[in-house]
Amino acid sequence: MSNYIPTIGVEVHVELKTKTKIFSPSTNGYGEMANSLTNEIDLGYPGTLPRLNEEVINLGIKAATILNCKIRKVMHFDRKNYFYPDISKNYQITQNRTPIGYDGYVEIEIDGEKKKVEIEEIHIEEDTCKSAHRGEKTLLDFNRAGVPLIEIVTKPCMTSSKEAKLYLEKLRELLTYGDISDCKIEEGSMRAEPNVSLRKNESDPFGTKVEIKNIGSISNVVAGIEKEIERQTKLYDKGEKIVPQTRRYDDKIGDTVLMRVKETGNDYRYFPEPDIPFVVLTDEQIEEVQKTIPMLPDERRKKYLELGVSETNTKKLIQNRNLSDFFNTIIDEKTNHQIASNLLLGDISAYLNKNEKTIDETTLNKERILELIKLMEGNKLSSKNLKEILDSILETNSKIEEIIKEKGIQNITDDNKIIEIVKKIINENEESVTDYKNGHDRAIKYLMGQVMKETKGTINPKIAMEILKEELDK
Amino acid sequence: MDKLSREEILHVADLARIELTEEEIEKYRVHIKKLLDDIEKIKDVKGYDDEQLIAPWSENCILREDRVGNMLEPKEVIEHAPRHSGNYIQVPVVIGESEGA
Repeated sequence: MSNYIPTIGVEVHVELKTKTKIFSPSTNGYGEMANSLTNEIDLGYPGTLPRLNEEVINLGIKAATILNCKIRKVMHFDRKNYFYPDISKNYQITQNRTPIGYDGYVEIEIDGEKKKVEIEEIHIEEDTCKSAHRGEKTLLDFNRAGVPLIEIVTKPCMTSSKEAKLYLEKLRELLTYGDISDCKIEEGSMRAEPNVSLRKNESDPFGTKVEIKNIGSISNVVAGIEKEIERQTKLYDKGEKIVPQTRRYDDKIGDTVLMRVKETGNDYRYFPEPDIPFVVLTDEQIEEVQKTIPMLPDERRKKYLELGVSETNTKKLIQNRNLSDFFNTIIDEKTNHQIASNLLLGDISAYLNKNEKTIDETTLNKERILELIKLMEGNKLSSKNLKEILDSILETNSKIEEIIKEKGIQNITDDNKIIEIVKKIINENEESVTDYKNGHDRAIKYLMGQVMKETKGTINPKIAMEILKEELDK
Repeated sequence: MDKLSREEILHVADLARIELTEEEIEKYRVHIKKLLDDIEKIKDVKGYDDEQLIAPWSENCILREDRVGNMLEPKEVIEHAPRHSGNYIQVPVVIGESEGA
């Protein structure tokens, strides 16, 4: 255990889900042939001019709103100058002085307590091209050049890797639910860079900050922070100084490695981008965008629990955006929402996984799931029978009642009929009845099995069990 | 004579990743100082504020609709590059990682 208090901040870059790039009409895409999604603007040819994509500003407003930030209504862009082949203009267009969002927070829950992770700012910028180093050459792919990004910067307000992990998970959940980014860390559409410093006491000024880059997963963020705390603790214990620097996390060796001693902010020689006039947002524009924000995870969680959905199902539904969106179509309906969640997470999910489909690719809709729930609640369809007709329910538009008829499934809902069957089973199994009366619990399970066999699973097992018990105890 | 320090010139050259001869260092100590002095004169212009210096016109930014437009064929991209390897543009190996985003 370290004798120092860690201070952690995180910078996160996410690629925005737009159709085109930030300053050019090239496709914003991933996984395509190298240099197939570019034009003269992305390549930084002389004489080209950037034209700002409206959707980038809209997604920036959305992100700022979701992360509880204030929104800047008059902003401009700046040039960050540096010489490196990943940016052929030799400057990156970013927002240095007027970030679109500032002073926000993300709420996390740590060990049962709520904590606000403070957001310093959100700024919009362009992504660089992707460079790959191969022996004596560096290869450049400009498909990524000009992909719109937002960078979300927290204040140095976290004190453990666990907090950083919870923050990143929450951030990812919010941004994916807000349709702002798909936040795929493994594809680089979400990149987290934590910074770590140590100090002895809370009252001391912050220690020297070290940044960690190139982290490919949230678990590696945790590992990177832990290793950095360890490294800095050792240095302080030896009485050595921490040099401001950027390190990268190497998951092959499970440690951080020095990348470079950091250039200072002034070396970037920021100045206002002269090719883009002021961007001015109106209240109406901001409100229009805010109206498009879908129901966010925290609100969904609250609503589902209110509707009587179990905690486990609530959690699972929210983990699956498509299912949760589908579930939202019935949240204002009077129905059994727990049955609905069971159906979606159980048999329907199994079908979707098996057939590699999403729920939108099936014929299930609001009306059909409500009909299904009604049939199941009224014992007109048992879960066993549901399995038999599920494919038809999800692949055709026929009424579910008709599918049931067609398949010849008839549920026995008449209590007298069930009593009749139960009596028959009791008469045929005297030995088990005696066992039951002598206190052998397993006997009733056997008898119940016989009832189900006799009825081919077309009765509600709960009701059958009740009747069986009544008849045995007579 | 009024000029920049040797260190300042070497620092700027380093940021631009260029090497300078002794002769060039001396030349730029004078030239860049003169350039900076000229730029300083902007401050003497009366009746301007910072915002006008950032964008001296009254029109605000007109945003582009998010619709896919013209792109180049990979062939066109690489034929303008001095060197390429497959569809990639090839440059001398650069040690260190991406500085930007």
